[in-house]
Amino acid sequence: MLITIGIFVLLFFPLIIISEFLFFEPFLVFSIYPETTLSFLLIIILSFSSALAVSMNIYRVKLIKETRKIGSSIVGTMLGVSAGACSCGPIAFSIITTFGTAGSIASSFLTIYEIPIRLTSIGILCLVIFVTTKSLSRECEIKS
Amino acid sequence: MVDTKKIAVGGAAVVLVLIVTIFASSYMSDFDNVQTKSKNNFEVIALGSETATVTIVEVGDYQCEMCKLWFEKTRPQIIENYIDTGKVNLIFIDMPFLGNDSIHAAAATYCADDQDEYWDYHVKLYELQQHVDDGWANIDRLHAIAFSLDMNMAEFDKCMKSDEPYDRVDFHKQKAKTDFAANSTPTFVIVNASGDSQKIVGAHPYSTFEKILNSML
Repeated sequence: MLITIGIFVLLFFPLIIISEFLFFEPFLVFSIYPETTLSFLLIIILSFSSALAVSMNIYRVKLIKETRKIGSSIVGTMLGVSAGACSCGPIAFSIITTFGTAGSIASSFLTIYEIPIRLTSIGILCLVIFVTTKSLSRECEIKS
Repeated sequence: MVDTKKIAVGGAAVVLVLIVTIFASSYMSDFDNVQTKSKNNFEVIALGSETATVTIVEVGDYQCEMCKLWFEKTRPQIIENYIDTGKVNLIFIDMPFLGNDSIHAAAATYCADDQDEYWDYHVKLYELQQHVDDGWANIDRLHAIAFSLDMNMAEFDKCMKSDEPYDRVDFHKQKAKTDFAANSTPTFVIVNASGDSQKIVGAHPYSTFEKILNSML
């Protein structure tokens, strides 16, 4: 439970800061517009599903010492986190000034396809949760 | 069997090296810009009254979607309550970094300025904004925007083919980095007559500007 909450917080807050929903400077401000509501909801779902998938897999690794599915949950999380992170903020600025045109193309791709990428990432995470749940219930079954 | 631990450590190392490279080169590019001084000294174009005691400097890119969000949500309220009432001025500093069309769009605003249409062109660009470099701000579309504003097209085309508007864009880009230390758009610097200043990074809501402007007026 603590791991789930920890992962959720570690993902949710950086994502809403990067996506400019939450500002700390010059003072604490939270702002959301009708146009950005979907993006905000996807961040909540992504953070929650990622926290659930990773913590379930950590439990699974502890239980049966098998690490296969944890990779999928990390891939799903990384995919979702990268989407929309490169709008016009400092991350995009650093990527574009470092990699030039290639950075600009990558940054605009992640911005344009923010919603589909986040949905794909949530899809991967849901699949991981489903498979892990099935696997855990099978492995934890009490043999009669 | 593949050792997952080794893969994880390797992956983390690659990500770390990448992050360090990005930030180091970004830092170095800022350092280079500090050393380079602009040869030109162009006038900035202000929206609002000349007697206003507070100035909002907006550093932006015409292809930046957060700049468009600020343009649509916050700017109209600032114009209504502070600029139209003569209390505040607004200055736009170009920092075109998102794509090639950002530079052309910024240059086009200066060609529009030659015909006293700077702010109308500025507004049109944000109203028509689409995705980065998808053609909405290519030379033909910029030409069409000028046409829709009833501008003298021969003059506009001549201006777009010259270096002058691009020099003005370069001057602004350098100013954004050196004077306002901007590394993202939109970035705002609010300055009052006594020299107090407040930097705001990001597309903040109107409430942020209201608080700061009231404290500075």
